[in-house]
Amino acid sequence: MDVLTTLTIIFLLYSLYLLYKSYKLKCSRNCYLVDYVCFKPSPDRQITTRKCGEIIERNKNLGLAEYKFLLKVIVNSGIGERTYGPRNIIEGREESPTLDDAIEEMDEFLNVCIHDLFVKTKISPRDVDVLVVNISTFCPAPSLASRIVHRYNMRDDVKTYSLSSMGCSATLVAIDVVQNIFKSGKKSLAVVITSESISPNWYSGNDKSMMLGNCLFRCGGSAMLLTNDPAMQAQAKMRLKCLVRTHIGANDDAFNSAVQKEDDMGRVGVHLSKDLPKAAMRAFTENLKRLLPKILPYREIALIAFHIVKQKLVQPNAKLNKVVAQINFKSGVDHFCLHTGGTAVIDAVRQALRLSEFDVEPARMTLHRWGNTSASSIWYVLGYMEAKKRLKKKDRVLMISFGSGFKCNSCLWEVTRDLGDGDVWEDCIKEYPPKTIVNPYLDKYGWVNEETEETFNREERIEAFKNSPW
Amino acid sequence: MANEPLPPFSSSVRLKYVKLGYQYLVNHILTFILIPIIVGISIELARVGPDEILSLLRFLNDLDLIYVMSTLFLVIIVGTVYFMSRPRPVYLVDYACFRPKPNFRVPFSTFLEHARLVPQFDERTVRFQVKILERSGLGEETCLPPANHYIPPTCSMAAARSEAELVIFSAIDELLNKTGMRPKNIDILIVNCSLFSPTPSLSAMIVNKYKLRSNILSFNLSGMGCSAGLISLDLARDLLQAHGNSNALVVSTEIITPNYYLGKERAMLLPNCLFRMGAAAVLLSNCRRERSRAKYRLTHVVRTHKGADDAAYRCVFQEQDSEGLTGINLSKDLMAIAGDALKSNITTMGPLVLPASEQLLFLFSLIARKVFKAKWKPYIPDFRLAFEHFCIHAGGRAVIDELQKNLQLSDQHVEASRMALHRFGNTSSSSLWYELNYIESKGRMKKGDRVWMIGFGSGFKCNSAVWKCLKTIKTPVDGPWSTSIHRYPVDVPAVVKVL
Repeated sequence: MDVLTTLTIIFLLYSLYLLYKSYKLKCSRNCYLVDYVCFKPSPDRQITTRKCGEIIERNKNLGLAEYKFLLKVIVNSGIGERTYGPRNIIEGREESPTLDDAIEEMDEFLNVCIHDLFVKTKISPRDVDVLVVNISTFCPAPSLASRIVHRYNMRDDVKTYSLSSMGCSATLVAIDVVQNIFKSGKKSLAVVITSESISPNWYSGNDKSMMLGNCLFRCGGSAMLLTNDPAMQAQAKMRLKCLVRTHIGANDDAFNSAVQKEDDMGRVGVHLSKDLPKAAMRAFTENLKRLLPKILPYREIALIAFHIVKQKLVQPNAKLNKVVAQINFKSGVDHFCLHTGGTAVIDAVRQALRLSEFDVEPARMTLHRWGNTSASSIWYVLGYMEAKKRLKKKDRVLMISFGSGFKCNSCLWEVTRDLGDGDVWEDCIKEYPPKTIVNPYLDKYGWVNEETEETFNREERIEAFKNSPW
Repeated sequence: MANEPLPPFSSSVRLKYVKLGYQYLVNHILTFILIPIIVGISIELARVGPDEILSLLRFLNDLDLIYVMSTLFLVIIVGTVYFMSRPRPVYLVDYACFRPKPNFRVPFSTFLEHARLVPQFDERTVRFQVKILERSGLGEETCLPPANHYIPPTCSMAAARSEAELVIFSAIDELLNKTGMRPKNIDILIVNCSLFSPTPSLSAMIVNKYKLRSNILSFNLSGMGCSAGLISLDLARDLLQAHGNSNALVVSTEIITPNYYLGKERAMLLPNCLFRMGAAAVLLSNCRRERSRAKYRLTHVVRTHKGADDAAYRCVFQEQDSEGLTGINLSKDLMAIAGDALKSNITTMGPLVLPASEQLLFLFSLIARKVFKAKWKPYIPDFRLAFEHFCIHAGGRAVIDELQKNLQLSDQHVEASRMALHRFGNTSSSSLWYELNYIESKGRMKKGDRVWMIGFGSGFKCNSAVWKCLKTIKTPVDGPWSTSIHRYPVDVPAVVKVL
């Protein structure tokens, strides 16, 4: 019966090998964030208050009513004096952007940021297996992903994906793509590039709903390196625990809340409707419904279930507001990376989750320093937390972002080691949070609110503005 | 012809039979080895006699129950782990292509007349465009969207959106009807459209129209060229591996409206002549219950990106001409670069699909050339042994000619591509689906047939996908070819005189 024994032994060894292989595969399904780099444009691209005034003054289509509206928007936006814009707008060519302007804006970001990422992580571009690029409002042919492959001489079997038009929440969609590729178990390195193209998207008309984009969006971008290789765990900063995506496009109001279209004069702009905050809240609620069971500790979930059952028994028809008011969101999350869509967005999320000023400080300061850099904003917020040395091992970070469509995407990261890299915040972190936030725009342009149609003389005001000392 | 010497009949036939015999031997090597083993075992059994066998059975009976149970348990566990860790099969349940209505037709005469009336084009530009059209391999029934029928074409965003709604929604409506799939059951949505990317995305537009679920995984790919359909398939496959029991809807299209070039640069006028309206919607699934009605199974997807090379990167390039008008510049080395990209792709694809006989020959030829520096021509594996049908992206007549030469394919193999180019024009990423539908409509698709889809795109990318047919497709097939298949194949002359 030697044959039988031999066969059994061979079979046992093979089974052990199979089990070992499947275990290794399971270990390789984690998504680690090795490192990330945010983009800091050159200082000559800063949009100061004066620059802002010059840009607005150049647009002959705007009158007093529009000035009042713009001032209100800018004052309430929470944006500071050191945000960055694209060169063509700063140089006065915003009305006729060329393809080269858009490419130049992207090149400045791609050439610097990705290079820094490779240097920081000591990874060669030829080691990259997956490249996902999301730049919402600009999609040339060949794609920007191809541009990066060309610039950095990547391998010919690199998997590239170029996502477009997915709004300010696109970075989490890109991470979703990477996460799904990682689940196959094969050890890979993925680079995710997130940015927004401002130059070709300037709105030169006077439709108020379309001018908001001009006021809020600023230049920025970030590059991330992710991997599922357990060997890189020591080097990694965070591990992805869960990612939840919600799309309420089925609702017509939500779908039409942010639409790119032509105005009455045929000029293209992004129309932001009044229903946008409501759509955002709906999407956020839907997202939370699926997110909370995944991130809250079991004790908290049991408590919520208990309260729901209790309420249903006592008042079967009442809404669950009281129960919602009792949920402690901070039991499952230590830090909140909120998309810096504007002060209104941050305030709304803060109220919904009952967060403290300390929790939303990173988002507010990012909005002040960088403006709304669209999808990459959450990485700047993360950078602030890291620069302030808030992120310690085993902390959990929740990223929430919103996008046109209407989407709300969120994900939870677990910090794998104490972090303290200042990156782009290094030079200014000591100034934040500022002791007072006197709004420079209100200070310099507050006169607009005192004028009426009769008293307003455009030419006089422009002369005065041009001759002013500041 | 009478003066030409007849080919030496006997030697060529002998060689052919040698090659056939070699292929048969190598491809069935396992069977050839196994037969003597089985014969040996049966002779041994016959010699040993029934008593030995009975004693063996008694031995097995004497074994402890524990031993038997634990072995059985182990077998079950290992079997389960093995089956669970195998990649999930990806089935193509069905697909539907956009059927353009005859009123969108652009016969050559219409093209010429419109080109002459557009104020931006001078006579030289018109002549050039018509010359290209005459040699393009396109027929008289290709279609352009309504905006392009205006003189001059109205390229507004509203018009682009309405073209997108027209082509995408009709393809998806037809697909949902055919498959009976309820929109609420779609878990993954991937849309690819290279040159039109509005906010909100086309994928959001589809979610809105069909009221898809709020936890749908939607992706909108853009700028990835004519091979983007295969890239979407790759993404769908990865997603279906990560999510079990899911259905994925992949929509491939190209929106022509905003991309009409109204300038004078010759290299940028080519897309005006070649690109036409089209869209395809494909339903993929990894549910076991879909297996019974699925048409194909996806076996391989191989992607190659030659962007690291300068010439390849610049080969299909969107830029602004001296007047500031945006258009796509197609370089003159497109064919050479496409051939090169294809070679890289088949280097990866070959070992996955070629039978052992061809791989050995290729390896032998490679070793001889590289190691022993023999001056042999590189051996091109015979892909006709690996595939029954070929769907080559109908990028243009030259692309199909080049590939036919490179892969040594017969006219029948490339017929689907040539006829799709003739009937529908270059519909970019959806062209592969029109070609597949042609093969089905001709009744050539049988169970077990393997299909190779090859797409090229800006960047420069060459992507390919391999499908295996799961059931014979019966004619008549209801699809974009329904009204015209009886007229095909047609002989497409090298030049169709218009001017």
